[in-house]
Amino acid sequence: MALNGIQIFKMTPKTNCKECGSPTCMAFSMKVAQGAAEISACPHMSEEALATLAEATAPPMKTIKVGAGDKEYTLGGETVLYRHDKTFVSRTRYAISLCSCMDDADIDAKLEAMKKVDYERIGEQMYVEMVYVNYHEGDAQDKYLDIVKKAAATGRVLVLGCTDEAVAKAALDICKDGKPILNGANAANAEAMSKLATDAGVVLGVSGADLNELYDTVAKLEGLGNKNLVLDTTGADVKTTFANTVQVRRAAIKNEDRTFGYPSIVNLSKIAKDDKYMQEALVSLFTMKYGSIVVLDQMSYDVALPLYGLRQNVFTDPQKPMTVEPGIYPINGGDENSLCLTTVDFALTYFVVSGELERSGVPCNLLISDAAGMSVLTAWAAGKLSSGTIAKFVQENVEDKIKCRKLVIPGKVAVLKGDLEAKLPGWEIIVAPDEAVQLVKFMKEFK
Amino acid sequence: MLLFDIVFNGNDKMYAEAEEAVNAAIAKYGEEKAVGFPETAYALAAYYAETGDKITNLKECKAGLEYIKTQMPRERRLDSVFKSGVATALAAEILEVTKYIEGDPYEGISEGAMTDAQLRELGVPLVVYDIPCVALIIHAAPSVQEAVDLVKSYQSQGNFVCLVGGIIDQLKEANYNMGFNVRVYPIGDNISCAAHAVSVASRVAMVFGNITPGDKVGLQKYHFERFRCFVNAFGPLDEKTVACGAGAIYYGFPVITNDMEYTPSVPKSLIKLADVSKFNKASLEARNIKIKVTNVDIPVAFATAFEGEIIRRGDMQVEFDGSRIDSFELVQTKELTEIEDHKIEVVGPELDEFEQGSKNGIAFIVEVAGKKMQPDFEPVFERKFHAWINGAEGIMHTGQRDMIRIRVSKDAFEAGFRAKHFGEILYAKIKGEFEAVVDKCQVTVYTDQAECSRLRHEVAQASFDKRDERLSSLTDENVDVFYTCILCQAFSPSHVCIVTPERLGLCGAVSWLDAKATHELEPDGACQVVEKVGLIDENLGAYESFNEAVHKYSMGALERITMYSIMVDPMTSCGCFECICGIEPFSNGVAIANREYAGMTPLGMTFPELASMTGGGVQTPGFMGHGKHFIGSKKFMAAEGGIQRIVWMPKELKDVVADRLNATAKELYGIDNFADMIGDETVTDSDPEALFAFLTEKGHPALGLDPLM
Amino acid sequence: MPFNQKPEKFAAKINTVTIGNGDKAIALGGESVLPLYTFDGPIDNAPKVGVEITDLGVEDIPGVKAYYEGCGSVADMAKKASEMEGADFVVLSLKGGDPNGEDKPTEDLVAIVKEVVAALGDYPLVVEGSGNVEKDNELLTKVSEACQGTNALIMSAKEENYKTVGASAGLAYGLNVGAESAVDINLAKQLNVITTKLGVNPEKIVMNIGNAAVGYGYEYVVSTMDRIRNAALSQNDDTLQMPIITPVSVDAWSVKESMASEEDMPEWGPAEERGIGMEIMGAAADLVSGSHAVILKHPQSVATIAKMIKELV
Repeated sequence: MALNGIQIFKMTPKTNCKECGSPTCMAFSMKVAQGAAEISACPHMSEEALATLAEATAPPMKTIKVGAGDKEYTLGGETVLYRHDKTFVSRTRYAISLCSCMDDADIDAKLEAMKKVDYERIGEQMYVEMVYVNYHEGDAQDKYLDIVKKAAATGRVLVLGCTDEAVAKAALDICKDGKPILNGANAANAEAMSKLATDAGVVLGVSGADLNELYDTVAKLEGLGNKNLVLDTTGADVKTTFANTVQVRRAAIKNEDRTFGYPSIVNLSKIAKDDKYMQEALVSLFTMKYGSIVVLDQMSYDVALPLYGLRQNVFTDPQKPMTVEPGIYPINGGDENSLCLTTVDFALTYFVVSGELERSGVPCNLLISDAAGMSVLTAWAAGKLSSGTIAKFVQENVEDKIKCRKLVIPGKVAVLKGDLEAKLPGWEIIVAPDEAVQLVKFMKEFK
Repeated sequence: MLLFDIVFNGNDKMYAEAEEAVNAAIAKYGEEKAVGFPETAYALAAYYAETGDKITNLKECKAGLEYIKTQMPRERRLDSVFKSGVATALAAEILEVTKYIEGDPYEGISEGAMTDAQLRELGVPLVVYDIPCVALIIHAAPSVQEAVDLVKSYQSQGNFVCLVGGIIDQLKEANYNMGFNVRVYPIGDNISCAAHAVSVASRVAMVFGNITPGDKVGLQKYHFERFRCFVNAFGPLDEKTVACGAGAIYYGFPVITNDMEYTPSVPKSLIKLADVSKFNKASLEARNIKIKVTNVDIPVAFATAFEGEIIRRGDMQVEFDGSRIDSFELVQTKELTEIEDHKIEVVGPELDEFEQGSKNGIAFIVEVAGKKMQPDFEPVFERKFHAWINGAEGIMHTGQRDMIRIRVSKDAFEAGFRAKHFGEILYAKIKGEFEAVVDKCQVTVYTDQAECSRLRHEVAQASFDKRDERLSSLTDENVDVFYTCILCQAFSPSHVCIVTPERLGLCGAVSWLDAKATHELEPDGACQVVEKVGLIDENLGAYESFNEAVHKYSMGALERITMYSIMVDPMTSCGCFECICGIEPFSNGVAIANREYAGMTPLGMTFPELASMTGGGVQTPGFMGHGKHFIGSKKFMAAEGGIQRIVWMPKELKDVVADRLNATAKELYGIDNFADMIGDETVTDSDPEALFAFLTEKGHPALGLDPLM
Repeated sequence: MPFNQKPEKFAAKINTVTIGNGDKAIALGGESVLPLYTFDGPIDNAPKVGVEITDLGVEDIPGVKAYYEGCGSVADMAKKASEMEGADFVVLSLKGGDPNGEDKPTEDLVAIVKEVVAALGDYPLVVEGSGNVEKDNELLTKVSEACQGTNALIMSAKEENYKTVGASAGLAYGLNVGAESAVDINLAKQLNVITTKLGVNPEKIVMNIGNAAVGYGYEYVVSTMDRIRNAALSQNDDTLQMPIITPVSVDAWSVKESMASEEDMPEWGPAEERGIGMEIMGAAADLVSGSHAVILKHPQSVATIAKMIKELV
C-alpha cells in the first residue's frame, strides 16, 4: 500500500538540510509520495526507514530503461489501468521490423522510409524509436549480423528477436553499447539467454507458448536474479495477443502480481503480417491497451500522423493539459496585413480554433499568449487570460510584426472588449462567436 | 337546482342520446356493423384508455353503453359527479362514432375526430410544452369580437385551441383563419363533439405517457400532472355541457365560465368570471402554465458579445451612478397573488427628460413569485443583472446592489431605448433562465430621484441587511442538507465538492446558496442534495451519507470524506482551488498559498507545486484546497483546532481575509488582531526557522497546541 | 506455478438495443465485460460498423467518391453503402439541413429519408440530423415520422432539444434515440436521466458521448468512455448502461492530417491513405475504449475495422 506524504515525512530526519535537493523535508516527502523523487536521495534516512519505504513505495510495475544516451527510453512503471486514475507515464514506443529472411533492397527501403518520418508535433519530436531485427532460424548468421549493423547505424534502439544463443551473442557484441533488448528468452533457453543479457548489460525479452509458460519463465528468471525484463505478449493470433497483453498488465497493476510487472512487446508483423491496414487498427488498439513496444512492418507518414497524435493524447497527464507555444501562428497564408485572432495556449482549444480557421479558408493570424494551459473561461476566471495579458502579449510580440490592427477575441470573454480597447490604442477589438464551430461562418462573413 | 342534479341530468341526457343512436344504427345495419373513427389505431380512444377495451362494432357499442351505465352513480357525493362527468364523455364518444358509419359526417369547416398522424404531430410539441397547453372553448362568446380576441390571445402564446359549438360560427363570421395547421381546431357544433377533444388527451396519454389502456388511475394522474388542458365554456350553460365539464375537472382540467348562475365556484377547478378578457390569464393560472419567454423585446440588439462594451463619456446619453446618487437593484419574492406577470412600470421621468450627459439615480425592483421560489435565490438572480443589462447593445452596467453604474449610449437612445426596456430585459432573462422557479415576474423601474432615495433607504437597505444577516447566520448546523458540486469533473474526474454554508466550494465561486439554487433550477445537474445522516464523528464532520455521496459521485474513486479535518480523509480538490493549505511541521500549523502568489512558501513548495500534489481528486492528508472565504470560517480545519493553526500566508491574501479572520479569532479564542500574528513573505518566504522565530515572538497560539501529527 | 487468471466479470450489464427489423437487425451491447475482453466473459453482440452517407450526395473524398460512382440518388448510395464489405448499418447524415450551411428545407430532407427507407427495407438505418439544435427540432420530428416502423436510430437528441427528439423518435414513433453529449461523463449521464424521465425507454437509447480525431484532444474521449463503462459495469449505474455509438468519420476527415493536399505536403503522401489511417486508428481506439458501434466512410476502413472485430470477438 502506497504511503502518503505525511507518513513518509514522519520517517525523515526533519532537519530541512536540503541535501536531497528539496527545500524542506515535507516537500521532499510529498515528492516521494508522488513518485517524483527517489527515497534514496535523502542521505540521512535510517536503514530501517529505507527498507520500510522501499517496500511500500515499490511500484507494481517495474520501470525498464532501454537505449543509451539521448536515445534512452523508459518503459513501464505504470501505476494505473486507466489514464484518468492518474496518468500513464511511459508512452508506447514503436519499432519497424526487419528480418534475416528479407532481401537487402527490402531492408534498405524500409530503413530509408523510416528515417523520413521525423517531425515535431506540439513540442514533441516524432520518429520511430526502435528497430526490431528478427533472426529467422536457419538463416546465415552473417546476413543477420549485417542487418544488425545496418539497423544499429540508424541510431535507433534495437530489439534483437533471436532465440539462438550463438547468433544472439554475436549480435550483442555488435550493438550492446546501444543498450538494445535481447528478445530471445523462452522456457527452453531462459538460463543461457539471461546470462547473455546480464553479461551484456541489456534488457531481456521473454516469451512463452501461453501465459502460464510465460509466467513460469519470468519467475525462473527472477529466481536467477534477472529483473531487467520485458515480456513479449504476442500470441498466435490477434485475439490471443490482446488477451495476453491486457491480462499481463492487469495482473501487475490491479492484482499486484509482480511477476507480470514488466513492460510488454507486441509484434504485429507476426499476427497481421503484410496487412498494412490491419496493422494500423492494431497499433491503435495496443497503444490504447497496454503495449509498451509495438512492432510494425514499416513506418510512413500516413501511419505516423494519426498514430503519434493518438499517442500524444493518450499519454498526456490528465492534470496537466497540453499546451502550445505562445506566438503568432499564420493560417491560410496569413501575413502582416491579415486579421488577428487570439485565444489561449491550451492545446485542445488551439486545435479546435485553428482547425475551424483553416476550414474558413480566410488568411489570418492566430495569436497565442500564455494562459497556463487553461481553456478560455477557466483561464479568464483564474486571471490567466485578461485584457492585461493580451495587451502585453500584443504590444511585446505582435505590434512590430503585424500591421493589421484588428483583433478578434473569444466570444466567451466579450467582457474584455472595453478594457482591451483602452489598453491597446489603435486596435479595433472585435468579439467572436461563443463557439469555435461558428468561426467558419464568422470569418467568411467578416469584412 | 343543485350541481348534482345538473350533472346527473346532463349525463342522463347524453346517455339517452347515445343509446338511441346506437339502437337506431343497429336497427338499420345490424349488430355486426363495424364502427370507428378515421385513421386511428386506438378505436374509441377515450373509452379504450378508460377501460382497456376497443369498441369496433355496434354490438360492442351496446356493451360499452351497458358498462357506462354502471359508472353513473347517483349518490349525492362529489365522486358521483366526477364519475358521471367521465361517463358523459364516454357516452358522447359512442354517440359520435355512430355518426361516422356512413363516412365522415363533418363537412365544411368543422373537422371532427383527429387522426393518429395529426395526433403524433401535435403530441410532440405538446409533451415538450412547445405548445404550452390545449384550450377547449365551448359555445358562443358574448360577442364576435370577444371570441376573436380570446382565440387570438391563446394562439399568440402558442397554445392549441379546440372549438365546439357557436364560437365556430363567430370566428367564421369574422373570417378568422381556422384549421389544424394554425392550431385553431374547430371540432363541431354539438356538445358531444367534446368527446373528440377527450380522445386526443387519452391518445396522448397512451402514446406519449405509456399509459396502459384500462389503467384508470394512471390515466387520471397523467392528465392531472402532464396533459395541460383547460376548458372555457360560455353561458348560458346547458346540463350536458356542465356534465362534460365535471369530467374535465375530474381529469384536472379547470373549467372557466362566464355563466354566473351555476353554483358553486371551486378554486383552480371551476372559475366563474364575467369578464371574457380575463379568461386567458385565469385559465393559464388555474392550470399552472408558464408561457416561455425567449426573446428580449428591446429596440437594440441583445447578445453576450456586447457584454464587454464600454460607453465613453462622449458617447453617453445619460448615466446612472449609485456612488453619487441613490440607485439600486433588488429582487423581491412575492406571493403569486400579489403581482402581475410581465407588468413593467416606470415611475418617474423617461430618459428623454434627462439632460444629455447628466448623472442620475435609478432603481429596479424586480418582484418574482413562484411556487418553488425561495428568498434565498434573490441574490443569485441579482448577481446576473450585470451580465444581462450589459448584454444590450449600447448599455453599460457595472456593480451590484446599491453600488451600480449604468450608462446608456446616444446610439441606443436614438434607437429607442428607454427606461422600460431595462424592465423588458430583466423580465425576459429572469423568466427565460429561471423558468423552473419563477412563475410570475413584475418589474418597476424608478427614475424619480426622491423615490429612488426613499426606497433605497427604506426597502433595499433593509433587504440587503437582512440577506447579509441570513448569510452570516447560516451555519452547517442550522441547515438540513448540504450539496455536492461536480462541475469540475470534466477536468478532475474523481473530485466531488461538498458545499456547506460555512464551507464554500474550493473554487470560491459556489456558495451553499448557489449550490441550492443550481439544484432547484436543474434537478439532475451538478449540485445534488446530501443529507446529514449517520453521524460518524461530529468533530471531524464525518457522516455516512457524505461517504455515500462522494463514493457515488466520484464513481467509486473515493470512499470516505470529512468536512472539517485536513488530516483524516480530507476533501479532495479538482484543480480550481483559490488556495491550498499544507502542514508546516516546524510551527505545528498550516501555511496557505493562494493562486495569485508566485513565490516560495515555508513549506518548500510553490503554489503550482502544491497544486500538482493536491489536485486531481486524490486525498492528500495534510494538504487541502479551499476557497479564500473559507479562511475566516469557524469550520476551517476545525477538527485540528481551527484557524489558530494558520501560521503563514502571502501578504496580499492576508489583507483580503484579515477582517473576517480577526473577527473569528476574537470570537473563538478571544485573540485580537490575529492576522498580525500570521507570518507572510515579508517575514520569510521559505525559511521555517525564521517563521518559527517570528511566531514565537508574536506568541502565536499554534505553538502551544497539540502536535498536528 | 501457473498464472492466476482473475477474470473481471461484472454483475451489471450493458443494455441491448436493436436497430432495424428481421434478419438484418443488429443488436448493440448486452455484455458484462469490458470492451473486447472476451477472455473475461462472452460478448454476444460484437461491435458494429456503420457506413455514413449524406443528403448532399457523393462527397469529394478520395476512394469514397469512387465507391459510389454511378449512384444517381442518395437512395442509390444507401443501397450501395449497405453492400459495402464489413458494413452492418447505414448512417444517413442530413447535414445539408444546417442553417449555417446549405439550409435545405425539411420537406426535401424528409423526402430523401423516405427514399432511403424504401431502398433499405429492413436493413438497419441510423439518421443523423443537421447538427443544428433548432433545425433538428423540426427536422428530426418529421424524420421520425418518415421512419415509423423501421426501428431506426435517430441522432441526436442533445440537452437543448432532447425533449422534442426524444418525444418524437422515442415516444411517438417508437424508434431508437441517440443521446448526444459533449465528452463528459456527467453530461452523458444527465442527458440519459432526463431523456428517460421524459418517458423514453432506456432500452431504446444509444449514447453518442462525443468524439474527437486522434491527436485532437482524443484523451478526453478515452477517459470519458473508460469512466462510463466502469460506472456502468462496476458501479451498476443504470443511467450509463446504454450502448455507445461513435461517429468517427466526420472528425477523421476534417483535420489537417487528412485534408492537406499532396501538393502542399509531398512527404506526407496521398491524402486518401492518411484519411484511412485517421479513420482506422480512431475507430480501433473507440472500440477498445467502449464504443459498441463506429461510423466510418471509407470502404477500406470499414473492411479493416470489421475484420479486426471479427478477429477479436
